[in-house]
Amino acid sequence: MNGAAALRGTWATVPLILGATILAGTAIGETRLPFLTVWNTLANHLWDAGHSVDRIDAGIVWSYRLPRAIVAAACGAGLALTGVVLQALLRNPLADPYLMGLSAGASTGAVLVTVAGFGAGAVSMSLGALAGAIAAFLAVVALAHAVQGGAGGGRGTQAAAAIILAGIAGSQMFNALTAFTIARSANAEQARGLMFWLMGNLSGVRWDDVAPCVAVTLIGTALCLWHRRGLDAFTFGADSAAALGVEVRKLRGLLITVTALMVGVLVSKVGAIGFVGLVVPHAMRFLVGTRHQRLVPASALAGAVFLVVADVIARIIVPGQVLPIGVITALVGAPAFALILIRGARR
Amino acid sequence: MSLELDKVTVTVHRATLLREVSLQVQPGECLGLIGPNGSGKSTLMRCMAGLHKPRSGAIRLRDRSLFAMTARARAQQIALVEQQADTTERLTVREAVELGRTPFLSPVRGWRAEDETRIEAALQAVEMTALVDRLWHTLSGGEQQRVHIARALAQAPKLLLLDEPTNHLDIRHQLALLKLIHDLPITRVIALHDLNQAMSCDRLALLDGGRLKAIGRPCEVLTEAIVRDSFGVAASRSIDPAGKHVLHFSHAV
Repeated sequence: MNGAAALRGTWATVPLILGATILAGTAIGETRLPFLTVWNTLANHLWDAGHSVDRIDAGIVWSYRLPRAIVAAACGAGLALTGVVLQALLRNPLADPYLMGLSAGASTGAVLVTVAGFGAGAVSMSLGALAGAIAAFLAVVALAHAVQGGAGGGRGTQAAAAIILAGIAGSQMFNALTAFTIARSANAEQARGLMFWLMGNLSGVRWDDVAPCVAVTLIGTALCLWHRRGLDAFTFGADSAAALGVEVRKLRGLLITVTALMVGVLVSKVGAIGFVGLVVPHAMRFLVGTRHQRLVPASALAGAVFLVVADVIARIIVPGQVLPIGVITALVGAPAFALILIRGARR
Repeated sequence: MSLELDKVTVTVHRATLLREVSLQVQPGECLGLIGPNGSGKSTLMRCMAGLHKPRSGAIRLRDRSLFAMTARARAQQIALVEQQADTTERLTVREAVELGRTPFLSPVRGWRAEDETRIEAALQAVEMTALVDRLWHTLSGGEQQRVHIARALAQAPKLLLLDEPTNHLDIRHQLALLKLIHDLPITRVIALHDLNQAMSCDRLALLDGGRLKAIGRPCEVLTEAIVRDSFGVAASRSIDPAGKHVLHFSHAV
């Protein structure tokens, strides 16, 4: 609680780090552009600076790489926050939208709307994904409750295991539904595109996608910060939070709806990118502690940086080919997941 | 602080856990809650903390229904120490105790000197001042329970509820913790398993099968006949050299 001034000092560096990361994400790619070109292009667009820049370079920077870097940052921040919220509210270190099948549910919802024509054009892809994410969450939590009743072991490990088991069942189920829908309704061309999108892909991102992604992430960050003490109060469980004056049902309902909203919108734009919500919050707990006053902004920032960097790596690691970003996050995330499992078992 | 329960009945999944329990917690007293396993002690605790709404009956805090209050207003008056609440978070003793100020803080009302004073006082009351920077999972069971009590005291409660706080502790820590609780100058309700430890409460309430079987001074409630009836053990009571009533248990009946 001390060091409020120091905290304010840290706050000031957040836009700097974020800006530098997005700039780097814009400069680095298949064709490397000098920072000066990037800077001049931005200056031309933002305050009509009138620098002379190659038109093709300017086009790459402004129409292609910049929106992509911003969306990557927003997705990283949003997905990291969903991990923070789920881990706090469910008291489960392994809670994560990807492992819990929320992302799979969102994918199913999005595919049902786009390919199978569910909702007859009245429902947007994002709304379909949101519905899918909520359906998946309810299904997985209900299943976890049922599993927990029958399993042995201590309460803590039991709950953690139950969520993972239910998440596996849920993910498989929703992935099967997605594959079924694609096979039934999509043509070969569509199917190839969808499969690439499902692994997490930022290739198709344009300026239109920036506003919704940034908006849900900002709303999510603001709400988590507003309810930071409520999230802290869950440290010793839901009953303890209630005894500390938290309206548990209300807060859970609100924050889980916001989580589903974030997952729904982000997945509908960039596909199911895994492990961000698992790895980033755990790393940040080591760095800044368990208090949500610090954990929320730190996780959002680190998630943003992580995903922009992962996207850059996905673009340059295999020359002439762009990997799905989900491959990179899984390569980092899966070992981290194993580490958390081992640490959890030792407790 | 007077808490009044009026014909409180609780049912969960068609099982009746409490049947028309009526009692009054009097200001400043230490009321012991005893009864065999499954008699409804924990349920009654949860009701008194406002965590569980009874199916019928009323719980009043100073003539106001407990369930008409917001969770926040309730938490400013009543604190609960659960049975062995644990966490996997890496937090320090100080951070755990600071959670007790949650009902007084809001997104716009930040940390003040007054909160700091409460934390210090709470840590001192449980003699944990030297361990403030220790991590939660490195503490012994007795120390963890002390931290829970400090967190509850940081709430500056008028009423402190403790659900079997001595569970899983060795005898030395049990006695130290009980002494600490008995010396606190606030109204307390404490659920206990050990009947001889319960003897030192001001009054005892005996639950059996969800009903309030008896309430009164320990020597009135814990008679040989009642112990045989409710707990199913044969016991004989004697007075020890210090003048306290002591129960000796011989066998199950």
